[in-house]
Amino acid sequence: MSQLHVICRIGDSEYAIPADEVFQMENFTVATPVPGAPSYVTGLIQVRQKIIPVLDARKRFGLPEIPVTGESRVVVLKLSERLVGLVVDSAREVQNISPEIFKAPPEIIARQSEGFVKAVANFKERIIMLLDTLKIVGEEFEHAK
Amino acid sequence: MQNEIEYKNIMNSTEEIMKSLARTANQALSVEEAIQKISESGNESAAAGEQMRAAIESVASSVEETGASIQELAKSQQQVAETTKDTLRGMEAMASGLQEMTASVATVKKDAELLSSSSEKTAATLEETARSIKSVNVNASDLAAASQQLTSAATQTAVSVADISKRGEASAATIEEVAVTIQQMAKGITRLSADAESSAVQVLNLSNGVIQGITALEGVSKDATEMASAVEQTAASAEEMSRSSKMISAQAKELEVSVESAVSAVTEIAASVEEVAATAEKNASVVDSNAAAIEQFSRSVQAVAQSTEQIANLSAETVTATTQLERANSRITTLVEGARKTADEVTATTREGGLTVAKSISGLTSIREAITESSNVIKDMGKRAEDIGDIVQTINMIADRTNLLSLNASIEAARAGEHGRGFAVVAEEIRALADRAAAASADIAKIIKGLQSTAREAMVTANEGVKAAAEGGKFAADAELALSAILKGAESVTSSVRDIERANAEQVQAVKSVTSATHKVSEEGRQVARVTKEQLTTSQLLAKGTSELRTMARQTKEATSEQAKALRDVVRSHGLLKQNAEKVLRAVGEQASVSSQLATASLQMRKLTAQTSSAMGEQTKKLSDLVSIAKDVTQSAQRTTQGLVEQTKGAVEVAKAMEDARKESIATSRAVTEQAKAAKEIESSSREVNRLSNEVRRATEEQAKAAVDLAREGEEVRKISRQTAKAISEQTVAMATISSDAAKQTISMQKVARATSEQTETSKELATVMNDIRGRAREITTVTTQLIKGVSKVANSAGAIANDIAKVRLSNVEQAEGLTKVIAALSPDNQAH
Repeated sequence: MSQLHVICRIGDSEYAIPADEVFQMENFTVATPVPGAPSYVTGLIQVRQKIIPVLDARKRFGLPEIPVTGESRVVVLKLSERLVGLVVDSAREVQNISPEIFKAPPEIIARQSEGFVKAVANFKERIIMLLDTLKIVGEEFEHAK
Repeated sequence: MQNEIEYKNIMNSTEEIMKSLARTANQALSVEEAIQKISESGNESAAAGEQMRAAIESVASSVEETGASIQELAKSQQQVAETTKDTLRGMEAMASGLQEMTASVATVKKDAELLSSSSEKTAATLEETARSIKSVNVNASDLAAASQQLTSAATQTAVSVADISKRGEASAATIEEVAVTIQQMAKGITRLSADAESSAVQVLNLSNGVIQGITALEGVSKDATEMASAVEQTAASAEEMSRSSKMISAQAKELEVSVESAVSAVTEIAASVEEVAATAEKNASVVDSNAAAIEQFSRSVQAVAQSTEQIANLSAETVTATTQLERANSRITTLVEGARKTADEVTATTREGGLTVAKSISGLTSIREAITESSNVIKDMGKRAEDIGDIVQTINMIADRTNLLSLNASIEAARAGEHGRGFAVVAEEIRALADRAAAASADIAKIIKGLQSTAREAMVTANEGVKAAAEGGKFAADAELALSAILKGAESVTSSVRDIERANAEQVQAVKSVTSATHKVSEEGRQVARVTKEQLTTSQLLAKGTSELRTMARQTKEATSEQAKALRDVVRSHGLLKQNAEKVLRAVGEQASVSSQLATASLQMRKLTAQTSSAMGEQTKKLSDLVSIAKDVTQSAQRTTQGLVEQTKGAVEVAKAMEDARKESIATSRAVTEQAKAAKEIESSSREVNRLSNEVRRATEEQAKAAVDLAREGEEVRKISRQTAKAISEQTVAMATISSDAAKQTISMQKVARATSEQTETSKELATVMNDIRGRAREITTVTTQLIKGVSKVANSAGAIANDIAKVRLSNVEQAEGLTKVIAALSPDNQAH
């Protein structure tokens, strides 16, 4: 288990995703919409000749929609051989964060964030929340099933 | 039965109530739902409102900033507006001043035209005056010539008179000579008297001899006595006859002579009386005509006196008028001098203003050029910035890509585990570099954005600056145009003022000459008046004398006519006398017959006479004695003759002297004739002088009239020149206002420039603030659309609620009705049955 995390920004907060769960990073410009999909499913994109679904992290977190910028990126998650893209406001760095500094989130946050935040770390004076990618994507999988 | 029915009724109503209550419940449910919906949407809208509030707050703060900067802007704009107003006011004042000046210049022009026309009139009048003065001059020179002629004639007269006096002296000498000769003659005559004494003695001797002769004659006397007796008879009869005839003839002769002489005398007298009468008549008529002529003369002299008096008065008036004219002219000269100075000053000031305006025009042009240049530079800069922006974007893109690649590399390296560690480090470094590049490019992009907006603002400002400079240039060009027009006007004013000055100087000279001429004329007129007065008194005296003469002539005529009448009577009485003379002649015829008797008696007497002759022989002898005595007498007579010869000689000398005297007198008469001729010439000259003086008078009258016109024209000229002076002073004031306004304008323009620079700065700030506002406004817009959506939902829900509530009300009403029926059914009245 590597300590490398991809740091991304959604809204005004920074989140960490373990590099092990990341298949690839991509720039995000546009996705092909899918009819009948839930509102947080932006659509479909192509990554390495594979068509994968893309979720909108903002929508997923209940944040207001913003237009796509040059900063917008897709973190392609690899969850048990499935590739799912998560559109974040920005993702420009990777950091080695030791798992010891990750602490369990306060109760209220854990409840309010529907379990998306697994842990919280104070990394170099930055508050970084560790995302539970399975929780974020999981429902989609549930729906898909 | 009744109760059954009632019960049914109650049941029915109760059922109805139940139904309606159920319905109410349902509706209440739906209401609840609707309200739930409302609350939901209300929540939504509240959230949106919250967001909006935040956005609006930020908007408010930025708006506040904007407000502050806008206030500043407003302040500076106000300043600009004030200065612009000042400028406008100055411009307006200048325009009004210019208008005033134009008006006053127009009046000046009009006045100058009037002045020129009146000056022309004056010139014409002066020309007339000059002409009349010339004619006066000519007349005066003629007068002088006539006077010269008169003088020369007088000189001639004097010479001839001197000649006469000389000749009188000569004649006196001759007369002295005559006196001397006469003395000599007296001496001769004394001698002659002595001779005459001796001749008297000898005559005594002769008388003695004669006495002897008388004794010899005594014999004769005897015969003679006989003869005497015969002769006595004859003599007696002859005596008788002769007495009567003598008497008669004497009477007749006397008578005839007297008659003839009387007749001739009377005829002569009559003729002369007739002549006298005719002459008297002629005289009377001549005197009459003379008197008439003299009266006319006196009248004309009186008229002349009056006119000369008038001339004197008029020329005196002319003198005063011309003096006034002279004074007015000098005043005009000073005024015109002032006007010229003012116009020169105006011209100079206008030139200065023109120079200033030209400078400002060139300055504005250079400003515009500089602004255009800077705007071009800014445009260029903007373009470059855009280029840079493009490059930066590319850099950014590359950095982004690099970042992505480095991230992916890091992930791959992590996946590779220990083997990928070095690779991970390189990837991390690459990422760091890419991030730095991205940050730098972002900074650059920000800077470029700011630069571009600044460049855009600068462009706008530059364009405004160019526009303002162009407007300023236009205003300055207008000002220059106006100033050049002013300059032209001022120059024309100066030239016209110079013309006026020149004309006035000529006028002054002309007036001076007129004044001096008029003085002379006045003097001459006074002299003429004096002389005419004298003439008048003389003519009055003459008239008096003439009237006396006329009365005398009339009396003479009357007396002469009486004389003529008396003479006619005399002539008639002389006719009677002639008849008497004829009677006398008849008597003389009778006497002739008596005379024939006397002839016979005379024959006898002849005989006796023969005897007497012989006696006479003796007598002759005696007479020879007498001859000798007579010889003595002759001798003494010869002596006497000698004395008389001497006397004759003296007389011849006297005659000669007298001849000389005669000659002298002839010469004298000739000289006198010459004198008369000279006097005639004098007379004719004086007549000419008279005529000339008449002409002079007429000319002077014309002159007086012309001088009056001149005075009137001078008055008008003075009035006009006063108006000119006033207009020019107004002009000066207007020009001063213009210059002060121009100075104000300059100051205002400076203020405008300062305020504009301030404005520029403020505007820059405003622009940035406005950019912020724009961003905020966008946010507000999005929020507001959401809000609108929520609110519309709320509105829909509210409509549903309203519907439901209406239904509830209706069912409630039904409920109420049902309940009323129940109450009625359950009333005690019904229960009683």
